[in-house]
Amino acid sequence: MVLYLLRRILSALGILLLISLFTYAIFFLLSPDPAVLICGKTCTPERIDQIRGQLGLDQPFWVQYWEFLRGLVAGRSYGDGPSAIDCAAPCLGFSFQTNESVTNMITSRFPVSATLAIGAAVLWLLAGIGGGLLSAVKQGTWWDRGAMMVALGGISLPNYFVALILQYVLVVQLQILPFPTAVEFGENPLLWFQSYLMPWLVLAFAYASMYARLVRTNVIDTLGENFMRTARAKGLAAPLILRRHALRPALTPVVTLFGMDFAGLLGGALITETVFGLNGVGKLAADSIAKNDQPVIMGVTLLAALFVVFGNVIVDILYTVLDPRVRVTSR
Amino acid sequence: MKKRYAVLGIALTAALALTGCTAGGSTAQNGNGVSGEPVKGGTLHVLQNADFSHLDPTMGFDGGVNNMYRLIYRTLTTQSTGEGAEGTEMVPDLATDLGTPNADATEWTFTLKDDIFFEDGSPITSADVKFGVERAFDPALAIGSPYARILLAGADDYQGPYISGDMPAIQTPDDKTIVFSLSKPFADFASAVGQNVFVPFPADGDVTATSVDQQPIASGPYRVESYQRGSELVLVRNEHWDPKTDEVRKAYPDSFVWTFGLDSSTVDERMIAGQGDDKDAIAGSVQAASIPRIQTDEIKERTISGIQGCTTYLGLNTTKEVMSDPLVRQAISYAVDKVSVQSGTGGTLLADVANTMLPPTVAGQTEFNLYQSDDDKGDPEKAKSLLTEAGYPDGIEFTMDIRNQPKMQAQAEAVQQSLAKAGITVNFNLIDTSTYYEVIGTTTQQNDAAITGWCPDWATGATFLPPLFEGSQIYEKGNSNIAQLNDPGVNSRITEINAMTDVDEANKAWGALDEQILELAPAVPLLFEKTVMVVGSNIAGAYSHAGFSGGIDYVSVGLASVPE
Repeated sequence: MVLYLLRRILSALGILLLISLFTYAIFFLLSPDPAVLICGKTCTPERIDQIRGQLGLDQPFWVQYWEFLRGLVAGRSYGDGPSAIDCAAPCLGFSFQTNESVTNMITSRFPVSATLAIGAAVLWLLAGIGGGLLSAVKQGTWWDRGAMMVALGGISLPNYFVALILQYVLVVQLQILPFPTAVEFGENPLLWFQSYLMPWLVLAFAYASMYARLVRTNVIDTLGENFMRTARAKGLAAPLILRRHALRPALTPVVTLFGMDFAGLLGGALITETVFGLNGVGKLAADSIAKNDQPVIMGVTLLAALFVVFGNVIVDILYTVLDPRVRVTSR
Repeated sequence: MKKRYAVLGIALTAALALTGCTAGGSTAQNGNGVSGEPVKGGTLHVLQNADFSHLDPTMGFDGGVNNMYRLIYRTLTTQSTGEGAEGTEMVPDLATDLGTPNADATEWTFTLKDDIFFEDGSPITSADVKFGVERAFDPALAIGSPYARILLAGADDYQGPYISGDMPAIQTPDDKTIVFSLSKPFADFASAVGQNVFVPFPADGDVTATSVDQQPIASGPYRVESYQRGSELVLVRNEHWDPKTDEVRKAYPDSFVWTFGLDSSTVDERMIAGQGDDKDAIAGSVQAASIPRIQTDEIKERTISGIQGCTTYLGLNTTKEVMSDPLVRQAISYAVDKVSVQSGTGGTLLADVANTMLPPTVAGQTEFNLYQSDDDKGDPEKAKSLLTEAGYPDGIEFTMDIRNQPKMQAQAEAVQQSLAKAGITVNFNLIDTSTYYEVIGTTTQQNDAAITGWCPDWATGATFLPPLFEGSQIYEKGNSNIAQLNDPGVNSRITEINAMTDVDEANKAWGALDEQILELAPAVPLLFEKTVMVVGSNIAGAYSHAGFSGGIDYVSVGLASVPE
């Protein structure tokens, strides 16, 4: 088991290294010159060269990439002399447009994305699994058809559309919620909850719809298995059969999906955060793309990759708990 | 695609016409509260999409951030208050007057006012002003206004006080007097010292190259109380600012709160709804898509518009074979239907037609129209005859760089369609927004023409015509002279005007030079674009300031009433 874990973690690190190399290469080869962007409108070639030197952009690709990797582990500094800028480890780069280290920019915004992801995940797991299970049990009824129609809507409607409609109805027309605002929990818990409620609902609606359809299909399949007939024949109570024998195997693919979805969301919900003005990692990515702030775009990309890759590792580990067959084959 | 934008433009124009929109001047649409006298006190909210680039004034350099800087920083001179050209006039700020030049305007002396203090109560001395300017030369900071680097003597090798030490070009004979030595005569230096690189900082050794961006030190009426980058900036009163020393800043609210990171459509939605704290809020220009929604009487009451003080133009690359003949460029100037370009931009509420390069907010701007057509709708017949005279009886074909952004594409399509009537075929080179200015600013990459814009750094021709048309300012990279005009007559006239010691005479000369340049037709002025803003119902004293890209002048705005 320990060996299996070590192997998974090492392979995850290898994947991350490859992703960092590809990401760095893409930005190195395709992006516009950040020195020109920084130089502004009254610029000279000498000034551009000066900025390139200061940012280390005049170095060959491998030198720059090595400096980037070294910064991740040991930190680095930009420029030299009294005006050198220190970037402590893990240094994901430095934004010369905002004069901030990328690591600080991401860590200061991460709590917003995490709050958004956790709140939405609770809602979509409850609604998705509960709704899917009920639909499966009440297969073919009005409840089932109605729930699946709503789920189809959740899957097909884009997030930004649902967000704008919800905002228009709840905030502008009915005025039962304020426009979302950047407030911390300790400052005003009620306003904090009100500000996150709509983003949670928007994200949860989309994910819960997928989960409900998945759970419904899986539970219906499981209910048709021979061992379910055996369980019923043994006289087990229906709720117990559902909980222990139908739901558990039906949830295995849900765990995989949840691991990936949740990990992806921790890397920022770009559209939802942007529409609601939540200053999370996704909004940071959107702003940086608009400004072409390369170090930040790269930092956010790597963070998202980190979450997805390690989310995958955690899912693999959970599999061994949920399904003993994986435990046996992984030895 | 072309058709879609044309239809969009027509639909928007029709919507504006149906809703009774008229050509917007730089005025509030009515005076109820918006233009009334504000009261002292309260908190004024500002809803904004993007955060400010920097809190360090040596680094920030755009209309929005310059406007905010005036609340926390002071310079030797600054722009006045008021609408249109009235607001862009330079007036003394920390200095007692606009400075005294020597006979050839290569040495300028300023005297500081009494009772001027930093936020910690320490007096602002000439040494602090000198340190502030020197600091702006540090390689880590030198991304803001370039005018100290361009104008001061010995600036080429100077790298700021932390690396190079003292700068001999700035002398401080006593605590109140500061003397600047320039590398060449410059009559408009009083305007240059209003740039952000002339903000003072304590020369006591505590200020480092990077500290101000994290912890600004106020000299103006407000200081930074808290700042969460990308989320919120809160300014509160600086108790050590004495209003008697400041004729420009009214400083009505007790505090300003910026909320950043809001989606542009959400900002529009909030300003139109005007609920809760948003009654005390202002914001930037509404999106073109929201214009039809602000045509109700209630919202018109709190809508203001103003010219941005910039010019949108079509630059013609004179080094390309097809554009090298002035007759061809003049033909293009005749053929462009500017009204169609205006419609593509959103109609008369969002832009005025331009016939001069200098916008009307620039001192000395002269009204003229060298390439007249009926109602500015283009004269394809005149264009055809000029093309025939130039040896192109079958017309010409060229490639235009355009930015991958709906408004600019609509403008480009309007140009394309109007030139087609004169037998001129325009092909588009669509460039991503993020790389657009890099491509058109690289001489080897730019094509035959490009649509772009320019805003002066202060409202005279000195920061407008030379960067766009002086031969010595053609750079391989970061080039702003996209016409690549290198005309001996224009170059020598720019040198002569720069040497003038009488600033009024120089301003008039810039106005005349504008006409001299456009006779060569290296560019086609298209539009003077406008800003349209909706403010909260409790806002007073709000007007569009042409010196800050048409944004609401923060130093004059306040609340109409404050709860007891």
